[in-house]
Amino acid sequence: MEDKGRERVMLPFSFDYERPKSFQEAVTRFQQADQSGKEPMYISGATEFLTLGRINQVYTEAAIDVKGIPEAKNIQFDQGYLVLGANLTLTELEEANVFPLLTSTSKQIADHTARGKITLGGNICGQIFYREAVLPLLLADSQMVMVGPEGVKVKPINEIFHERLLLQKGEFLIQVATDTRYLHAPFISIKRRQQWDTGYPLITIAALKIDRKVRVAISGLCPFPFRSNEMEDALNILEGSPKEKIQNALASIPSPILDDVEGSSEYRLFVLQNLLLDVYEALKFGERE
Amino acid sequence: MEVIGKSVIRKEAQDKVTGRAKYTHDYHTSKKLSGRVVLSPYGHARILSIDTTDARKVPGVRAIITGEHLPLTGESMRDRPPLATNKVRYHGEAVAIVVADTPNQGDLAASLIQIQYEVLPVVHTPTQAFQQNSPLVHEHLDEYEREKDVNPVPGTNIAHHVKIRKGNMEKGWGESSVTVEGDYSFSPSDHAAMETRSSTAEITPDGTIKIITSSQAPFMVKQLIASYFDEDIGKIVVDTPLVGGAYGGKASVQLEILAYLSSRAVGGRAVEIFNEREQDMMMSPSHIGLDAKIKIGADHSGVIKAMEIQFLWDGGAYSDKAIDLTRAGAVDCTGPYKVDHVWCDSYCMYTNHTYAAPFRGFSHSELSFAVERTLDLLAKKLNMDPLELRERNAIQPGHTTPTRVLLNQSNVGNLQECISKLRTLIRWEEGPVREINERLVRVKGVSCSWKTSTIDSNAPSGVILTFNRDGSINLMSGVVEIGTGTKTVLAQILAEKLKMDVDKIHVRMTVDTQTTPEHWKTVASRGIYMAGRALLEAADDVIAQLKEIASIVLRAPIEDLEVAHMKVFTRDDPRISVDFKDICYGYQYPNGNSIGGQIIGRGNFILRHLSHLDPETGEGNPGPEWTVAAYGVEVEFDRRDLTYRLIKAASVIDIGIVLNEKAALGQVMGAMSMGLSFAGRETFYYDEFGRVLNPQLRTYRPIRYGENPEYLVDFVYTPDLQAAYGARGVGEHGLLGMPGALGNALSLAANVSLHHLPLTPELIWKTKAGNV
Repeated sequence: MEDKGRERVMLPFSFDYERPKSFQEAVTRFQQADQSGKEPMYISGATEFLTLGRINQVYTEAAIDVKGIPEAKNIQFDQGYLVLGANLTLTELEEANVFPLLTSTSKQIADHTARGKITLGGNICGQIFYREAVLPLLLADSQMVMVGPEGVKVKPINEIFHERLLLQKGEFLIQVATDTRYLHAPFISIKRRQQWDTGYPLITIAALKIDRKVRVAISGLCPFPFRSNEMEDALNILEGSPKEKIQNALASIPSPILDDVEGSSEYRLFVLQNLLLDVYEALKFGERE
Repeated sequence: MEVIGKSVIRKEAQDKVTGRAKYTHDYHTSKKLSGRVVLSPYGHARILSIDTTDARKVPGVRAIITGEHLPLTGESMRDRPPLATNKVRYHGEAVAIVVADTPNQGDLAASLIQIQYEVLPVVHTPTQAFQQNSPLVHEHLDEYEREKDVNPVPGTNIAHHVKIRKGNMEKGWGESSVTVEGDYSFSPSDHAAMETRSSTAEITPDGTIKIITSSQAPFMVKQLIASYFDEDIGKIVVDTPLVGGAYGGKASVQLEILAYLSSRAVGGRAVEIFNEREQDMMMSPSHIGLDAKIKIGADHSGVIKAMEIQFLWDGGAYSDKAIDLTRAGAVDCTGPYKVDHVWCDSYCMYTNHTYAAPFRGFSHSELSFAVERTLDLLAKKLNMDPLELRERNAIQPGHTTPTRVLLNQSNVGNLQECISKLRTLIRWEEGPVREINERLVRVKGVSCSWKTSTIDSNAPSGVILTFNRDGSINLMSGVVEIGTGTKTVLAQILAEKLKMDVDKIHVRMTVDTQTTPEHWKTVASRGIYMAGRALLEAADDVIAQLKEIASIVLRAPIEDLEVAHMKVFTRDDPRISVDFKDICYGYQYPNGNSIGGQIIGRGNFILRHLSHLDPETGEGNPGPEWTVAAYGVEVEFDRRDLTYRLIKAASVIDIGIVLNEKAALGQVMGAMSMGLSFAGRETFYYDEFGRVLNPQLRTYRPIRYGENPEYLVDFVYTPDLQAAYGARGVGEHGLLGMPGALGNALSLAANVSLHHLPLTPELIWKTKAGNV
């Protein structure tokens, strides 16, 4: 973007803007820009690109806008899977409402205006570490469909997502596929903030119950979203009161626990305990049926 | 009355809601350069060196300005360099300015300026600042030029000390069978106006200094630039268009100084300094913090006998307006209660925080939080209803204020009636606590507050009226339209006085200090109070001139004439009349002879009998009247999670008279919203270097629509005999009691005494755990 005279242009750096029409073209353009030393970047909704770029926390000389790629806007059912394009905005996901737990989690992310731009892929792959849209996918063992210089890759999320999606250079997320049996599993999603109903997550918890076991995924507690097998094992034990199970589960939480302007780590633990009680009320973990 | 009281739609409303309204940054001059400010990265550090070599090489850079050789500035005391020299005293302090062709070039150059700092120990709180061994924010306090009634204490962090010594404390404690005390504390926060500050300055070849600025005080800008920089005041012209929210933050003069210096550095070319949000929050002055100690003594029936108060105001790195805030807090330190024996020490403390600007309420919501929490502690100790305790002690005509002003039927409102109406409005008879279920409980908290202004005793307000040839009138007042709707209410007052259609009164929305008569500053809830009186005088002047010409034309004595519906007519026979349009530019006879000339009305007003405070006792008359109010807040509290929702918020204010119903409701509700937002959510967080951790709206979050309570507003009508139509100032008052009432509700709900702001669930949790 050129300096438009007197007005301060939003971003303090100049960059090439590309809008490929296919994923192959996107990857090719990325590689070309990379070879030219332009530190290319894929963008989708671009909300983070603008807000972090303006304070010099993001830099690129080639922005490759993947919004035009048709496969990335899909919503379709295919052989027992729900396939969602990574460029669907959170608002589009909410309105389609094909995966109720994802709807419930997405519609609390950021604010109404931003959700019209934030995409599923952008929320998962961006720099801001909450990535709340990934929580339902962690719970549903989704398949992540990525494209890049090595072609198309499909991997289960628990292999390819550890604190963040482990993309190779030049790769981007194009679709997410979820086994339909998870779509109707009983679930709960709660977002607690420092105060009232707006702001970054203090703790966001998503949970579902399948095969008589409860699964739990959490964002905001640590500087990454996670699902912990040890925590789930502790919650799903048949013996003990809910409170005892929760105490045991807390022993397995990863570290570090965030301590920041949203809240202290001790307070986060207090909030988490109560949220797990709410999950118990809704889904009744560790009970004989 | 025809127009007074009606909900006349604001004259600028269409422009504002369609997006056509122009604010300072929207005015484009063809050759405006951009001034980008380099901010201090530390709360307290020595500046070792500044290297601008690389910055100067950036294309488009016209000048780089640093702080050496600039005079010190500051309203009550000149302790503030416009750009930091020797050391930086707060995170975000302006250190250098790059003037460039475009903002992006300026930012690039700014990022290339190399500054070496040596970090110094940080003064984090006013209490720490008050300790003997505290690091000093200002080592040379004795050298600063200051107003004669300002008392800094060199060798300390005390910029000013105001004393209130009323009555006899020994006697007061002797008459008290019960005492309670509490310590209260909160950090600085922000005004968060929708429009960030911006100023453009230009110096033309003939030496005229033209400034366009988003300010509450264009006339003060003129005065200060002349004074600080030895400029001819007659050559300084300040324009202020519509302002997109100010709340006191734009009463401080800062950006204008930087814009002027920038323009001066580039031979007078126009330079704009525009605050990005982060700069607006960190560099420009903010909402003052406070550490307070309150002790109250009362007899067994709850009659207050004595109050001992210590305010340590977090004035931040420079004293500027914080000294006035310190004084204002002392003046009304007891809250709206009869207290015969008062000992108050109100200190303006230096800390390594952004320095303080006035914030809506001007120290009153802050002091009220501390006083009202302590009153609830007293009510609890006496096992007395908190409203009854306040009613029993409510200040009334015949009582005196902390500065010993004798109150009468006119200069104070009726607090007992406010309390009585509040009782009904919030259904106090239901009791303060109502259990919904095992977890949820609804709890009500109450408070009272009051305020007078503490502006300069000779602060002026002027109004000029001119006519258009159709007989309609132009109204010029130096009040800035900051969103209060004052300009429209002035039109209503004139319409009522002249008995004419308010749509035939054209109010000039922008202020230009060369042609608009001065209104001291648009602050203190004194806009209508002062400009209204000036307007009435101007209206009388216009009526006299109209009648003089009409008398000749109608061949009737002036005493027989009336003015209404844009005509002058004989009282007994209205058919004998002449229209405004035929006489407002004088009168022309059929043969061509003309008499009179264009009618120009003038009026001005200053407050009467204000006096300085005695430095030992605080005795003095700070303002014309005290507006009183009673408040209630109802929350729904979750006893397991310690979270809460705001259900209802109520204010009953003695307004004297409602001039514009919807405008008054809007002002009060808006103020209540700000008060709840401040109390529930807003604060700056700092790290160990004194750095602000949340200078963005992502992490500093005012209340949102949907989080608000139901607002309940009612009024009491005790006229102020000095004011236009008896109307008391009311712009700030909705805010004042909210923190206290919310703190009282939550303390009851959570069964723990809350002494800090903001009142977040984590604070409640920490206080219950004993970790605060």
